[in-house]
Amino acid sequence: MFNEARSNMVGRPEIASYVEDLAKELMENGVSGALSKRLKAEESRRVNLYNEEALKEIGEKISSWLERRLSEEDRRSFKKAPYLLLGSKERIPRPLISTPLDLKDIDYVRDIGFPGEPPFVRGIHPNMYRGKKFTIRPIVGFGTPEDTNKRIHFLLRHGATGINIVFDLPTIQEYDSDHPYAKGQVGLCGVAIDTVEDMKALFKNVPLNEISISLTTHYPSNTMILGSMFLVAAEEMGYKWEDLRGTVQNDPIMEAVVRTSPESLPPRAIFKIHVDNIEFLRSKVPKWNYVTYNGYNLREAGVDEIVEIAVAFSTALEASLEMMRRGHRPDDFLDRMAFFWGIGNDFFLEIARMRAARRLWYRITRYILGASKERSWWCRFHVQTSGISLTREEPLNNIARATLHTLAGVLGGAQSIHASAYDEAYSIPTEAAHLVSLRIQQIIQEETGITDVVDPLAGSFYVEWLTNEVEKEVVGEMDSIWKIGGIINAIEEGWLHRKIAEFAYREQVMLEQGVIKVVGVNVYKADKTLTPPIDVFRYPEDAEERQRRKLETIRSLRSKERVENSLARIVEAAARGENLFPYVIDAVRERATEGEIFNIFKKIYGIWRPRISI
Amino acid sequence: MLMTSSKNVRRVKVLIAKLGLDTHWRGAIVVAYMLRNAGMDVIYLGNAMPDDIIEAAIDEDPDVIGVSSLGGAHISLGKEVIELAKRMGIYESKVFVIGGVIPPEDEKKLIELGYDAVFGPGATEKEILTVINQKLREKGIL
Repeated sequence: MFNEARSNMVGRPEIASYVEDLAKELMENGVSGALSKRLKAEESRRVNLYNEEALKEIGEKISSWLERRLSEEDRRSFKKAPYLLLGSKERIPRPLISTPLDLKDIDYVRDIGFPGEPPFVRGIHPNMYRGKKFTIRPIVGFGTPEDTNKRIHFLLRHGATGINIVFDLPTIQEYDSDHPYAKGQVGLCGVAIDTVEDMKALFKNVPLNEISISLTTHYPSNTMILGSMFLVAAEEMGYKWEDLRGTVQNDPIMEAVVRTSPESLPPRAIFKIHVDNIEFLRSKVPKWNYVTYNGYNLREAGVDEIVEIAVAFSTALEASLEMMRRGHRPDDFLDRMAFFWGIGNDFFLEIARMRAARRLWYRITRYILGASKERSWWCRFHVQTSGISLTREEPLNNIARATLHTLAGVLGGAQSIHASAYDEAYSIPTEAAHLVSLRIQQIIQEETGITDVVDPLAGSFYVEWLTNEVEKEVVGEMDSIWKIGGIINAIEEGWLHRKIAEFAYREQVMLEQGVIKVVGVNVYKADKTLTPPIDVFRYPEDAEERQRRKLETIRSLRSKERVENSLARIVEAAARGENLFPYVIDAVRERATEGEIFNIFKKIYGIWRPRISI
Repeated sequence: MLMTSSKNVRRVKVLIAKLGLDTHWRGAIVVAYMLRNAGMDVIYLGNAMPDDIIEAAIDEDPDVIGVSSLGGAHISLGKEVIELAKRMGIYESKVFVIGGVIPPEDEKKLIELGYDAVFGPGATEKEILTVINQKLREKGIL
């Protein structure tokens, strides 16, 4: 059994004290201190790409070029802060031109290297998209599972290579479709799931051993419940857990910060369930990505590109330390850790930061966590093009925006992409809009030759310089998080909530003042008659009623006693400090509902109110 | 700005809540900051169901109650807020505003239900402050 296997590994005091020392070191010296100490030996072997003489000549020439060719005004504003939506603004001002002088001590092998090899700046696979095309993974979910199942088959017929399921608000917030809170919201913004029967209906005739499935579960607590439902459904449909490929989100930041709910679990309980999920899924569903640290939703809520990565990496680092405390070696679990970035408007910065993220994650996993397998060093990620950057005004312009965002994702080496649909600001996508979003990606893959060459922007003075700058900034943010005592402390103290609130407010002011420009909204506003009419998605009728009736039938057919016993065993396991996943699986098998299991979590851990001070 | 112009004017107190299960708190927080910067006292309640909102309104006695909804429950739950306020006898003494992703055809409906103002995604700081102050005067609160 799973828990027995684990108990053989825990209680190794040398690991426990090693982890405690490491955590203490990170709090005292930050990620920057820990890395520079460990990279010292590497540093002494550096070989500069550019020779002294060349750099000296460039230095002389540039001074004279600045004098002769640029106006006083150009010289004064040589460095310019980009005021772009969801951007880091003054953090990294951009030069008019970049030259080798910005990369004076760059070392090709150590700083850039080759794809498929450390430091993975150029990509995690040697042949990148020639070997494996990026997965075209559209988001889908509305109405009942039966309604969504039809759209899944539509997408698969038109070339989707993965599926990304989104759930309705009651499901995400862990209330059943017949709960008073769910009234009027069943099947809106996503698909309604109450029991394992719904999961089976959702994936009817979908080959789960061939198509990789992403369950956008967001929270650790609903990952445990919905993940269990998926596993039991797959098993009852005849699939083996070992053959399942896909991801869950399982991100504590989503549960404690990005999404708010009338009833939130405390951050530490969320973190415990988060690590339980990692531990169980890694050992029982080996091809499954047990976590996708979701920078995307945090970013869209209101942080810049730098904080997005810093928070995701800090959470991943802290979860890894907790897995080590539980007795697991980094190489036994890091290989299935995945990330999810949002792609916004700052085109080159987006590309640079995906490259920087790969290098930094490699350095963290190898040098701080001590992982030794290549797969453990990979920063694998899905990207979704920014939804908040899309406008209600002139919605077809959003196709251009999503295309640029997608292109940045491709040039940044994403493993999987969702291009947001042009009707995002109106409703969830219509079939027509969904198709355009698939086509954007297929056009890049098939018509442009962009994917034939790996990391084509490497060596650009600008992109390499930006890559270095982003990495420095991310490390700086991670240092501030560790100074507060790590990400969980930062959440409890309201640090991240404050950061989001201040950023979002500042952006709103900049949008109103026209400092941040949005075409068709605050610049080049057109006559309304120029905008073609748009079809809005209409939700299937009676979804709520159909879902409630189904739930009522399931409740009447199951054994009440067996359900209650299985729920009671979750409480007992929590009291013993065990991993709760196997017990939730058992409850799901008995047809316990999502809401019933969430009630048990609330009973065990209580309810927490985030600190948002105005 | 209007609130800080005169020392004789008392500070307006605002209660802001996210309606029901809706999770997009960015807009509600942005508005909370705007109102605070304009010199108002702001209480951010977080996510709450209509009865919690009205209960908090009775305890805190704000002048303005603002609810934010981007998840599609503006009519179903939004209606309950007004009905409860009327039943508890606090409707006339407070300004009720609602904001978020609200289709144009629903804006009228919300006004008919009893909201003093509805703010869509394009609402500006100036517009929100002007309308709130105007409604405060209309209801005789200021």
